[in-house]
Amino acid sequence: MTKQITNIRIGIYLCDCDGKVSKKVDLNSVKVAIQSKAEFEYIRAVEVACTKAEREQIVAEIDKYSLNRLLVAGCSDPFIVRQFLQLADDKGINRYNVEFVDLSAAESVGAAVSAVDTALNRLHLRAEVGYEELAVIPDVLVIGAGSEAAAAAKAIAKNQPVVQIDNVGTRVIGLDGFPGAFTVCLLENGQTVKKDFGAIVLALGAVPQYDKSKYGGVELGADVLSLSQFINAGKDYAGKKVGFALGKADEDSLLSFAAVLKAALDLKEKGASEVSIIYEDMKICADGLEQEYERARKKGVNFLKYTGEFQITRFASGIAFMYREPFLADPAKIVADYIVLAEDFVPAAGTLELAEIFDIRTGPGGFFQKDNVHFLPIRSNRAGIFFVGSCHGPIHGTDLYNEIEAVLAEVSAFAKGKVSVPSLQPKVEAEKCAVCLTCYRCCPHHAIEIVHGEEYNNMYFSAARMNPLACQRCGVCAAECPGKAIQLPLYSDQEILFEVQQPARIVAYACENSGFLASEFAKTLDPELQKDLQIVEVPCSGKIDIIYLLKALENGADGVMLCVCHKENCKFVWGNDRAEQRKVRAQQILNQVGLGERIDFVHVAANQGNQFNTAVKAMAEKIRQSGTNPGKVVK
Amino acid sequence: MIVAEGKPVEKILEMLAPYKKVLIAGCRGCVTVCLTGGEKEVGILASQIRMARSKDGNPIEILEQTEERQCDAEYNAKFLENVGKVDAIVSLACGIGIQYLGEKYPLTPIYPGVNTLMLGANIDVGRWEERCFACGDCVLDKTGGICPIARCSKSLLNGPCGGSQFGKCEVSAPVKEDIPCGWQLIYDRLSALGQLDKMSEIIPAKNWLRAKGPRTYVREDLTLDRS
Repeated sequence: MTKQITNIRIGIYLCDCDGKVSKKVDLNSVKVAIQSKAEFEYIRAVEVACTKAEREQIVAEIDKYSLNRLLVAGCSDPFIVRQFLQLADDKGINRYNVEFVDLSAAESVGAAVSAVDTALNRLHLRAEVGYEELAVIPDVLVIGAGSEAAAAAKAIAKNQPVVQIDNVGTRVIGLDGFPGAFTVCLLENGQTVKKDFGAIVLALGAVPQYDKSKYGGVELGADVLSLSQFINAGKDYAGKKVGFALGKADEDSLLSFAAVLKAALDLKEKGASEVSIIYEDMKICADGLEQEYERARKKGVNFLKYTGEFQITRFASGIAFMYREPFLADPAKIVADYIVLAEDFVPAAGTLELAEIFDIRTGPGGFFQKDNVHFLPIRSNRAGIFFVGSCHGPIHGTDLYNEIEAVLAEVSAFAKGKVSVPSLQPKVEAEKCAVCLTCYRCCPHHAIEIVHGEEYNNMYFSAARMNPLACQRCGVCAAECPGKAIQLPLYSDQEILFEVQQPARIVAYACENSGFLASEFAKTLDPELQKDLQIVEVPCSGKIDIIYLLKALENGADGVMLCVCHKENCKFVWGNDRAEQRKVRAQQILNQVGLGERIDFVHVAANQGNQFNTAVKAMAEKIRQSGTNPGKVVK
Repeated sequence: MIVAEGKPVEKILEMLAPYKKVLIAGCRGCVTVCLTGGEKEVGILASQIRMARSKDGNPIEILEQTEERQCDAEYNAKFLENVGKVDAIVSLACGIGIQYLGEKYPLTPIYPGVNTLMLGANIDVGRWEERCFACGDCVLDKTGGICPIARCSKSLLNGPCGGSQFGKCEVSAPVKEDIPCGWQLIYDRLSALGQLDKMSEIIPAKNWLRAKGPRTYVREDLTLDRS
């Protein structure tokens, strides 16, 4: 950040971690080396920093030397991290001004000093992170008409005001604003009205749809019913034989299995003479379902496993499933008075329209939410807009209640009408902002607005502003800004470019959700390989600016890697795609001036340490072929 | 907005061959908005040139500076100090800015870092389309708000011509992108507006003198007497 922080007073604690560090590195030498070169207020080597006595002494030292930033070098045990962050909170030191260095991996005094020095410089460059007190609207809008929406609305209503609409009589036609202060435009009795909500919960549900092509073209009729027809009709089947077929439709959810179990038990209670269920795979992996199954068996419900296709055939005595049992040679037959067929679930009407209005994504089957392991089930790509229930794919019973609990935890943050958030969203230097809308359009989270006022020091009296509640800190905006007006706190250009001032032979910019974790794992697999490698952690590969790639090379690296999440697996929707586009351009820039192939783009998951090392080897081979970087600029 | 594209770097390297220290001057106006000549692109081009020259064993020193608008003298005055330090300037502003910055510092050679393309709209990130030709004699009233000069390949005032096929212009194929027929767009818009009768009005030949430079525009009611 360009903002200069005055009066930075850093305290450095070099922890031996009970002798672990000094096995390889003499801490006193590290201390002496740091003292001779760096700028700080206070330094001390300690044997074990995580004891009560030490804690008390550190507290006293913070007061005595008026320390406002801390550097803790030792192990990177989560315990010590937690303890120092707590200590910082207690002493009123901003927790973003505490930096940890892992010395357990350091092989020499030089390596340890350099690691401490890098962290120290990071602390010096770090802009002060403030906290913002924001007023938020506690009211929650629940959209949906079914039982899922009702259950969500009822649960939320215990904490805060809820409005539930069915999106049929009262329809959403527009959305503006940010989490804590959304303005929803509704069409109510032919009139448009605007209402304000802090959060929105989508619970449109899913609707069953009979697809005859899955049952060899069998049409529904008096004795062939779809599962939903059967449940809704609620007829009396006393003395009748009923057969259910599962497994041909709704293969991926538990919904039909659960509904059939319930219906079968009900039929048995009400005196049906025979209840049979033919199924391909038993789907009872949810709380309570297995007990239901056991109860059904005890009550005499027949469970019959089939394999392959089955036929539905009419006989004088009734209608029958003709199927093949996996272990019997001859075909089997179940004759019934009524047969009931499972259906697929499709998104409720209005799902696609709402997705467009809210600019949230739909995925497989047209349900809400892209198929991406990084997305939490209830979260959309926009903060403050949540999914509950089958609107993001059919879900069953306890899963629904877990989702409601999770949503409750999210929306109840607004219940008190105010929240305090660390001001970590990107900051815009208005003087450089051309109000070009590039960030606004590239933001995957709708977190940016254009604001106007005398205080914005440019010819438009306007600037982009990132909403602290909507922003998810991917940094895509900062990397896209053509005016270099945007900086992401803790990952400013200044901080990142500082790390590559004297780069290693290979610099790997690594997403903290994948590439960075893979690199940590990779270290343990092949420590030797890491010698010429420098990892620069970024919050998302979408933060990797073209200039980061070029500057690493300009400053002397021979090759640069971008280690990013797998395709369609970016936590921030399209950060990795943007990174790939930038890689392509950066390589073109090199090709134009004959600098050779020096940039690699690597999709790697957090647990793929081996693949990471393979990629590093490939990069090393590539630069061996291209030769030493002739573009290095000697200063 | 004025839309420009970066010039091929080999051309820029050729221009800069004789120099050891140059200034790359960016502009925060249109060329920042069209992602071609703002502070970011200044940094990228500077890095590329530095590396290229290092590779050739002929290092170059590059200063980088971006100011509000190179089409205004007051903003160009801010380059004074850095211009004094260099042998030449590369401007990433549009053709207007490049010339106008050059006029401000007539003793320092100035070179274009961009090709100025058109007056266009930013359809989405990374895509710009021409909308206006600055012909000086607007006919949008007669054509449903769609410009036949800028959007018909032949700038026909009374179209479409026989090259309009399924809504596309026959020029499409050679440029490898479907160009919508401007007159089809006009027909569709007039049709939607219930003004199709305008299609049968003959638009008389334009005064093309107004489209020819060098043009000057003066408003006597606004000019200042600075004597």
